[in-house]
Order: sequence, then structure tokens, then C-alpha cells
Amino acid sequence: MKKVLSLFGIGWLLGSTVVAQNIQFTEYDLKNGLHVILHEDHSTPIVAVTVLYHVGSKNEVPGRTGMAHFFEHLLFEGSDNIGRGEYAKYVENAGGGLNANTSQDRTFYYDLLPSNQLELGLWLESERMMHAKVEKEGIETQREVVKEEKRQRYDNQPYGNLFPETLKHAYKNHPYAWAPIGSLEDLNAAKDQDFVDFYHTYYVPNNAVLSIAGDFKPEEAKKLIEQYFGEIQKGKDIKRPTIIEPTNTGEVKDVIKVKDQLPLMVQAYHIPAQGTKEFYAIDMLNTLLSNGESSRLNKTVVNEKELALFCGAFTFNLEDPGLTLSYSVANMGVDIKELEAAVNAEFDRLKNEPISDNEFQKLRNQIESDFITRNSSMAGIAESLANYHTYFGDTNLINTEINRYMAVTKEEMMAAAKKYYIPENRVTLYFEHDPSLLKQ
Amino acid sequence: MKKYIIPILLLCLSTTLIWSQKVDRSKAPKAGPAPKIQIGSYQLFTLENGLKVIVVENHKLPTVSYSLQLEIDPIKEGEKAGSVSAAGELMTAGTTTRSKDEISNAVDFIGAQLSSGSEGIYASSLTKHSETILELMSDVLLHPSYPEAEIEKSRKKILSGLVSEKTDPNSISSKIGNLVKYGKNHPYGEMMTEETVNNYKRDDLVNYYNTYFKPNVSYLIIVGDITVDKAKAQAQKYFGSWAQGAVPKMKFRAPKAPAGNEVVFVPVPGAVQSVIDITYAIDLVPATNEALHASVLNNILGGSGFQTRLMQNLREDKAYTYGAYSEITPDDYIGYFSAGASVRNEVTDSSVTELLYEMRKLTTEKVDDATLQIVKNIMTGQFARSLERPQTVARFAKNIEKYALPKNFYETYLERLNAVTADDILKIAQRLLLPQNAYITIVGNKETLEKVISFDADKKPMVYNPDGTVFVDMKPIPEGVTATTVLNNYIKACGGEEKLGKIKTMTQKGMIDAGMAQLDMQVDMASGKSLKMTLSMNGAPFMTQLFYDNKLTISQMGQKMEGDEQDILQAKIQCDPLAELHFDQFGLKASLKGIEKINGADAYNMEVIYPNGDITTDYYDVSNGLKIKSISVKKDGEKSVTSETNYVEYMDVEGMKFAKKIKQSGGGQDATIITNSIEINPKFKKNHFE
Repeated sequence: MKKVLSLFGIGWLLGSTVVAQNIQFTEYDLKNGLHVILHEDHSTPIVAVTVLYHVGSKNEVPGRTGMAHFFEHLLFEGSDNIGRGEYAKYVENAGGGLNANTSQDRTFYYDLLPSNQLELGLWLESERMMHAKVEKEGIETQREVVKEEKRQRYDNQPYGNLFPETLKHAYKNHPYAWAPIGSLEDLNAAKDQDFVDFYHTYYVPNNAVLSIAGDFKPEEAKKLIEQYFGEIQKGKDIKRPTIIEPTNTGEVKDVIKVKDQLPLMVQAYHIPAQGTKEFYAIDMLNTLLSNGESSRLNKTVVNEKELALFCGAFTFNLEDPGLTLSYSVANMGVDIKELEAAVNAEFDRLKNEPISDNEFQKLRNQIESDFITRNSSMAGIAESLANYHTYFGDTNLINTEINRYMAVTKEEMMAAAKKYYIPENRVTLYFEHDPSLLKQ
Repeated sequence: MKKYIIPILLLCLSTTLIWSQKVDRSKAPKAGPAPKIQIGSYQLFTLENGLKVIVVENHKLPTVSYSLQLEIDPIKEGEKAGSVSAAGELMTAGTTTRSKDEISNAVDFIGAQLSSGSEGIYASSLTKHSETILELMSDVLLHPSYPEAEIEKSRKKILSGLVSEKTDPNSISSKIGNLVKYGKNHPYGEMMTEETVNNYKRDDLVNYYNTYFKPNVSYLIIVGDITVDKAKAQAQKYFGSWAQGAVPKMKFRAPKAPAGNEVVFVPVPGAVQSVIDITYAIDLVPATNEALHASVLNNILGGSGFQTRLMQNLREDKAYTYGAYSEITPDDYIGYFSAGASVRNEVTDSSVTELLYEMRKLTTEKVDDATLQIVKNIMTGQFARSLERPQTVARFAKNIEKYALPKNFYETYLERLNAVTADDILKIAQRLLLPQNAYITIVGNKETLEKVISFDADKKPMVYNPDGTVFVDMKPIPEGVTATTVLNNYIKACGGEEKLGKIKTMTQKGMIDAGMAQLDMQVDMASGKSLKMTLSMNGAPFMTQLFYDNKLTISQMGQKMEGDEQDILQAKIQCDPLAELHFDQFGLKASLKGIEKINGADAYNMEVIYPNGDITTDYYDVSNGLKIKSISVKKDGEKSVTSETNYVEYMDVEGMKFAKKIKQSGGGQDATIITNSIEINPKFKKNHFE
């Protein structure tokens, strides 16, 4: 009897668990503190060599915003052994691709190479970490390029100031108050020595993760990694911002005048830091609100009431407490107040009305599907591994984070909604058309 | 003691070990032996209804995707632009057995994706849900119901979307680029506007679906965690019953590049950058050797990466932009060239110069071997990396089938790439890079227009509004000026209410020069009552137009015709020397739009709407109050006919002003009307107008 029972038990367990994810990896530290993660996969003869530096715009100070992102540009300029502008040459001539990006919390460089060029990638990245050249000519050129990047990606885009304005209103103390692109004035004001100091403070092995995924033999790679990165000097311990942004300080409301014709509403709620139990509950609430055509905001605000061209709420997850960003673009002729009321009604429902079993199951299925399809490329896997190590100290979450979502109950979701989705904890911004901005 | 010695020794050893292996950092490490690039395999089979199915197995992730792709000619939508995309998108908005909500609930419940467009449907899900998503996909494909309510909802969103695009420089750039390079008579050049979106009806969408969604013109591409046997069974089960049908073929005249460079400017108020796009249509067939050469050429010029000439010149050297790129895109019908960048306003003209310079250089100078080799390396790498995605193999399979390529076409791709020579590049550059026959589209701040005029071959740039209509530069109206004051001023300028009011009858004599024919003209008028216009050729009467007793009769060569209400209204207005003071009586609505430059003079732009909806725009000279131009648009069934009248010269008669020389054009005809004499208050015979 007992045997049968336990078999049933196992069967039930299997039925309820999600498709297992199994991305194998090894990880270790070099003496200088560089953390190394290796994922071996021979299905395509390519290798992704990536380095994550744990520095982003939150490490900047007011008056020098945009520094981390600007650095990302500078570090393609060259090193003691790599001539100006030759980074790209080496990678592209080898048949590879390269780029980098900067967030609030980290700067990420990647080289996607044919697998026989692993060593090239290691050489380039170690040069960048060891003795990058931070020189006047490069600084001046990239300063202009970054200004054009800001114009192109923010100022000349529809509702281009949405993100910077939202951050500015949501954070009064924390350096999340500005976007990684920073301000043009600050970039102009920065001295060459500021750049040199920034490099020596943050671009050190003990502040970096080297994550490699693809077609290579880990034993060979380990030897090469030691050769190229082992001699790089460990840096000082990194001071990280400890500022805690106060929450529930009362609703912040503002109207921003824009060129765009349709009114847009943004609401930003403060949420807990990623990785906390409450964070997962919040992320699931946002999935419920916005993921798919049948999600609540889509169904009611967009399709039934026809108030918005677009309406969604998304988790803006950050290392320190981030935001839920909800934004809606009003349909032509719709009163933004009516739109706001409809969106608020959906947030209120989360607090007052239990989720049906069916909807809860849908939510879990969506999260499962998203989690499984997330890691489809070598570059993506290398980045995820580095992120999990950096932010959570648990690289294996690439396989197991799904369990944290699956552990969230309907009751916990409602509790999180009641705690965080309240007016005192949010910013509400209207982006309204101002014809005077359309003067030539 | 010994205990301690060993670790120290070891430590020494290990440092020496590392030291002895210290790498030479001064130069790039050598590459290992090149890995073999292998293209995954696929299966292709055809269902009885003609549906071609391509299967690519890949079991890395437990997911599978189904992409149904129509291969049909582009559709000219005309007055209903937008209907084709709506027909596609709304397939998921309801079927004969499922509402839109039911479909989206079912799709979301399994965490799957399902979307439809005018040329296909895409679905993907975890493998374990594949039967469920296929059931939904096939329902959407075979039984869309196009509910009226959903059509209206979608229309509303599309209209809102159009409004928001009006201020987005990038979307304007792409729409205007298409309009100019393909022309509005080609399907690729059609532009969706508020009007066209309001024009289509449910029947149009249903017709599109019924005509074009047929298995015999479609591919079903299945990629992922599935076996070929299973894929076959699924294709048969869910798409086997889909009925065949003849699908119409279309032919369009291929657009050509312009004879000389044509600057196309769209002013966007407040723009902080110019979005530059140098573009034109090209004839380039996909999957040919020429297309390969063009692709190498494009990678030298501005394809991707940081080393292209455009990137090096405009970004790394001059810092004009965040990125400068080019595209040379082959197409089954008509391809295009495009090169451009978003640059700050001040360097707009310099950037155009550099873009054209780099194009020209490739047509005059052979590319050096080193550059060519680098680009080949880049393309080899791109090719290898693209194989990481199983969808790439599926795309290759479809091309092999569609263009009847050799089975090993992609296996030999790298060989063919390596065989490309500098001469090949020069030859293709000379055919496809046209730095003197390009549309140079610039979306940006109006102030930059002046600086780019010099790039235009005839120095007459086309200036458009974001919606593709011709841009009119207007200054604001000074305070206190209204349509009424402008009309009053006009009457004053013509001699004043008192003098004009005293005109009871009038005879005007002159001639009409219509190029081929010259006619003598006489117009007799009795204020508020009658009008008679006689045209004669060499003394013989040619046409008479008579307004009398509220009736308008036109006699020409023995034929008689009655004028309609609009003609009668026009005649009444002509019979009133003070008509401009009596707009209310005539049911005309006038509104002042702004001040525009007309033939070098500032003029008020006044829109006049007639009771039947016809619109006339009249221009009054700001300095002297006289009417200088009039543009009228008449609806003629589906079409609208525009005619233009220019008041070139006025003459003085007893302290009053009358038009002496008028130039008219419209409907392909030009005419000049010259008045030689005007007699005020002549005496007519009693029955003169009868």
C-alpha cells in the first residue's frame, strides 16, 4: 500500500512542476576577484565572451550624470595594445559582432565570435579591464556621439522624455532619479580626470563578471582566462550607494507638456528590490495586468472601454527597489481623467477581488512559457548568468528562479497589491500636447 | 619545518608556471582552426491543397512555432489604404465559433502567441500545448468572422495611431520615403490617411480574405521541438481542409529613380535632429549573384557594425551622429536603396555631403583588397551566427523552393562570397549607387531647409506635410484681422462700397487665349439679375452662357445645357458687385488660415466653403487688399478636380478696379483672359437677357 501511495505522490508532483530548465555552468573566482562563469554548448560554432561591470548610473553623483554610459562609449577607443578605434576592427575582421549597453546598475560588454576566436575575445576584454586608454581625442569625439545618441533616442522620439521625467518624479534622493543617458550639461562639464578616476574605481576585476557561453572547452578556456586576466590588479572595494528612497510619501502629480498629440498617462509605483518574495508577487500582478491580449488592462481599458491605444504595467526591476511603470496612450478625443480612473479601477480590483483559479492558472502558464523561451541564444545565456550572479549571488537561478514565481500564492499577490498599489506610493504624470512647442 | 616548505615551493612553482606562460599582449592572438559551419537540415512536403510545408527540427527548447506565409503580389488599395492590413490583423478578432475574447483567453491560458497579418499568421507555444494552439490558429485561418464592432474598434485605434505618428520624425521619414520613391500609384508608395482608413468597410476586408488566403500560394513553416512525422500529421489535420482557389496576379509599372537629385523636406516643429534618408527604387532580384554583390557593397558602405565607411566618416571621424547606415534591399517586385542618419540640425547639409561623397566614391574607386576581405569576414561571421536560430534554416529552405535555387545554394554561400572581386563591387556600385539620381529626404526643423536646397538638381525642393500633402508655409494672422476685415478691405481696394454699389449694369469686352484657340469675349451683367457671356471665334458665335430668371443655360453649337445649382450660385455671385460683403446670403463660409507667400508677396489665405462642400482658397494681397489668386477644388464623383486662377493685372475704370489679366489652369487646360474695356451702366435692350 505504502509504495503505491508514494508513487501517486510523485506523479502528482511531476504533474505540477514546470518543464525543467537545465543550463549547466561552472563558476569560480580568480585571485584578483574576477568572477568567471562558463557555459559549454557545442550546437553552433560560436562563442559569446561577455564582461559585466557592476557599475551603472546609480554609481554616479549629481553633476556628473551620464558618466557610466559615457564610459561604455569610451572603452571602445583602445588600450595600451589596441589602437584607437581598433576594438571593432579586431572583432569584426574575425567575423564577430560586438556592442555594449549600460543600465542603472551595470555596464555590459559583449563579443560574439566564431568559436576559434575565443582567445581574441579574452585578449580584447582583458585589455579593456587592464589598461584602457582614456584620452582627449576619444573623449571629445564620443562626447558628441553621445549627445547625438541622446537626441536620437530621447529628444527626437515620441514622448522621448517619458522615462527621464518619470524617474525624476519617482526618486527624490536615490540616484535612480536620472536615466543612464544623463544630461548633456553634465557631460560637457566632466573633466578628463573624472573619467580616469571612474575607470580606476569601477573597471577592476573584483567588480566584474566574465561570462562565456558557447562552443569551447572549459579546461582550455580556464587556462587562457588565467593568462589574460590573472595579472590584472585587484582594485579597491567598491562603495555602493546606500540611499534608501522613502516610499508612501503621498501621491506626486504633475503635467508635462509635449509635442505629441495624444495624451499619455504614466503611473509609477515604488516596489521592493528584485529577488524579494514580494517582488515576485508584484511581477505576477503586472503580468496579470499586461501580458497578452486577454490581460486585464488590455481587455478593459483598451478593448472594452476603448479609452487607450495602448495600456500596460511593467516591472522595472532594479537592484535597489525599482518601479512598476504603468503607462497608457489615450485614444483620440479621450479625456485623460477618464483613462486614469479606468486604469486605477484595474489596480483597485487587484486589492479587492480574489483572482479566479482559472486566471491564476493562466498567469502561471504564461510565466512558465516566458521563462522557458527566455534563454535561446548564447549571448542571452551569458548575460543572464552574469546577472543572476551579480544581483542575486546565485547563478543557478537561471534554472530555478521559476520556482520562486510558482511559490507565490493568490493571497500574497493581493497582499502585495494592498501594500504597494496605493495612491500614496505612486507618481502620476500626464503628458499633454502643447501647441506652442510646435512652433518652428 | 617541512610542512611549511611544500606550500612555498608550490607557490613558487605556480608563479613560474604562469610567468612562463605570460601572453604576448602586444598583438592579437592567433585564431584556432576555423570551425566547420553546418547548416541544419529541413524537410519539405506539399499537402494536397497545395500548401507547402517546411519543417526544421530543433529540440533545444521545448517549444514549437508555426508560421503561415502567403506569397502574393502586392495589393494596390487606393482610396482604401489600410484595408489590407486591417483584414489581416482582424483575423484574430473573432471566428464563426469564437469571440475575440475567447480566442485571446485561450491563447493566453497556455502562455502562447498568436498573431495575424495581411500576409500570414504566426503561432508559437510550448511543445506540450501545440495541439491547442494549432486548433486556434486553424480556426482563425479558416473561419474569421470580421465582427463589425471589432472593425470599428480597430479603426479607432488606427486613427489614433495616425495622429500620434504625425509628430514622430522617424515614422514620417519612412512614410514620405516610400511615397516619393515608389509614387502613390504603386502599392509600396501608398499612404494610409484618416480618409482612407474611414473608407474601408467590412466587405473590403472579407473580400481580401476570401481572395488571397489560399493554401496554394502559402507556406507553413514549422520550427522547433517536433518530429517530421508529427509535423506532417499536424499540418494535415489542421490545414488539410483549407480549400484552394485562384489568386489574382498583379503587375505594376516599376518606379524609377529621379532624373536628378530631388530634395524632399518635411518640416517637423521643434525637431532637434534631421532624419536624413537618401533613397530611391532599384531593380534587384533576391537570391541572385547581383544581390550578393550588392550585399557586399552595402556592408562596405553602411551595412552593420562600426567599420563601414558611413559609420567611420559620420560617427567616428566627425561625430555628426550616433549611427549612419545604408540598405540595399532586393525585392520580388521593386527593391530600394537607402542611406541615412539622424544628425543634429547644424550639420544636416554637411552630413548629406558626406553621405553622397561615400556613395560616389564607391562608384569611382575600386575597393581595396583589405577592405573587401574584412567585409567578407564580417559577412562570414554573420552567416555563421545566424545559424544559431533554427528559423534561419527555415528561411533558407523557403528561398530554395520559392526561387527554385540549387539545393546546395546556402552550402555554397561562403564560396560564392569569397569569390566576389573588387571589379564585381565597382560594377554593382555603378549600377545601384546613384548619388545624382536620389531622393534626399530630410525630416527636421524648417530652418535647415534653406541649407539643403543646393542639393536639389533644379533647386526646387518638394516640401511636404507629414501626411504627404504639399506643405504650405504660413505666418500667423495679425490680431484684429478676420475674414470679414479682409473681404471689406478687398471691396475698399476695388473702389469702395459706395461706387461699386452704384453699378447697375456693366459690359466687359476682351479675349480668351486658350493656346490652340483664341476667342472674343463679351460679358453683360445686370446687377442682382442677369448675366450673359458670349464667346465667338472670328466673329462667329461659339458659346453663350445665359443666367436669367434663376436659370442658367449654356448654348454651344446648337446644343443647350442647363447649369446645376452650383453653377447658378456662381452666376449669382458674379452678378453682385458687392458679393464679398454678402457671403452669408450666398451661404458661403469663409475662414482665414494665415499669411502665405504668393509670387513673392504676402497674401492672406482664405478658405471659402460652398453650400455643396466645394472648397475654394482665395489669396488677398496683404499690401493692397486685392485678390491675387484662387484655387478651387470640385468634387467630380470619386475624383476631385483642382483649378487655379491667378489675377495677374488690374485695370482702373472710373475709380474702380477690375481684373485685366487672369490666368486660369485646371483639368489639363491653360487659358489667359484679357479684358480690354469695361463700360459701367450701359443701357441694354429690354429683352437683352431673354
